[in-house]
Amino acid sequence: MGIWETFTDLVDAATPWSIAEAEAPAQEEQEPKNDESKEEESSDDDEEEEEEDEDEIVDPKETLEEELQAMLPAKHHFDECVERVTKQEEDGDAKEDCVEEFFHLAHCASQCAAPKLWSQLK
Amino acid sequence: MLARSCLRSTRILNSARNGATSFAKRNASTSSSGAESPARLNMAAAASTAVAIGSVAWYYHLYGPTAQAMTPAEEGLHPTQYPWVHEQWFKTFDHQALRRGFQVYQEVCAACHSLSRVPYRTLVGTVLTVDEAKELAEQNEYDTEPNDEGEIEKRPGKLSDYIPAPYKNDEAARAANNGALPPDLSLIVKGRHGGCNYIFSLLTGYPEEPPAGAQVQAGLNFNPYFPGTGIAMARVLYDGLVEYEDETPASTSQMAKDVTEFLNWAAEPEMDDRKKMGMKVLAVTAVLTALSIWVKRYKWAPIKSRKTVYDPPKASKTTRL
Repeated sequence: MGIWETFTDLVDAATPWSIAEAEAPAQEEQEPKNDESKEEESSDDDEEEEEEDEDEIVDPKETLEEELQAMLPAKHHFDECVERVTKQEEDGDAKEDCVEEFFHLAHCASQCAAPKLWSQLK
Repeated sequence: MLARSCLRSTRILNSARNGATSFAKRNASTSSSGAESPARLNMAAAASTAVAIGSVAWYYHLYGPTAQAMTPAEEGLHPTQYPWVHEQWFKTFDHQALRRGFQVYQEVCAACHSLSRVPYRTLVGTVLTVDEAKELAEQNEYDTEPNDEGEIEKRPGKLSDYIPAPYKNDEAARAANNGALPPDLSLIVKGRHGGCNYIFSLLTGYPEEPPAGAQVQAGLNFNPYFPGTGIAMARVLYDGLVEYEDETPASTSQMAKDVTEFLNWAAEPEMDDRKKMGMKVLAVTAVLTALSIWVKRYKWAPIKSRKTVYDPPKASKTTRL
């Protein structure tokens, strides 16, 4: 800033062919930006796009967490609780709920999935 | 004098108590308890140990278990820590992500949530270009100053105007949303425990169905991350809801991530500048520290390296008179 800009301003003022961009110099900048991002996408998301061609967009968070949940011991506890509570509900009143088991499961799965998810998202 | 006389008096007392027989072994002070049997000693040790263990046990019985004021469900599931890039010390917002996030806000969130502390001018250069921001501002109408006849007319928006709220006031917002007030999102990242992690987890955390046995009131939805797990906002982000202009695949988590980063920008628009200023401060301080150390060495060099020698005058046998 400062001195250098005054020089460039003076040069701009002296040269009649310079373009005065009072408000919107963004258009030129934008185009290369978009191109870059497109290139990045095409390189990053090749696999995803192939999948998407067949179907709608798949949420990486859901797929990751589903994969992880199957491996977690918390899933076993949760399933057991669901079985118990549904039986109680059929018999009459449910005395408990599976919210805590669900919390443990969701917490474990999302924590394990977090770094993988971030590497897949832009 | 007083202390000495006191000592003397105790000695006299002792000798009086023990009698003349123990006078000879006065110095062996422990030998006076030698008369007690080892069984009694063992009992004393066992009793004191039992009291010690008992008192500790009683303490933990009284104060050991922590009293939870709320059940885990009432507290809500604590959000997961996500590795946000913009939260690192030397990283800025990803402005392409801010642009996408603003698009998500406009197309999804803005239907219910206001962003009343953000004027269009702040979007210029960070999220939108000048022309885009002007065009956006002009889509809304704002009150003018009273004219000559005192009438307040409408004019198209300017850059200095604030983003309009979806409802006229809080009461209208409540009436339209089944009694629940959608909070203003300008400072929501600062205003919630967990910040970005909480917002992201809340947006993506809706399970397909609540876990078995969970009580969900009518008009509420189950979300583990919301304290109490009953939230009035239903799941809004679905895969492919928004079509990004940069053709990023708009999955639910991608949209949630972008809009969270945008909301963090809305709450902390100064973050990029603040970090830049922090770098400047660190750099200048480092230079000044180095400089001050060098100057100190320079100034102290003659003092530290000087040698003081005492050269005593040679003793001469002839003394001057």
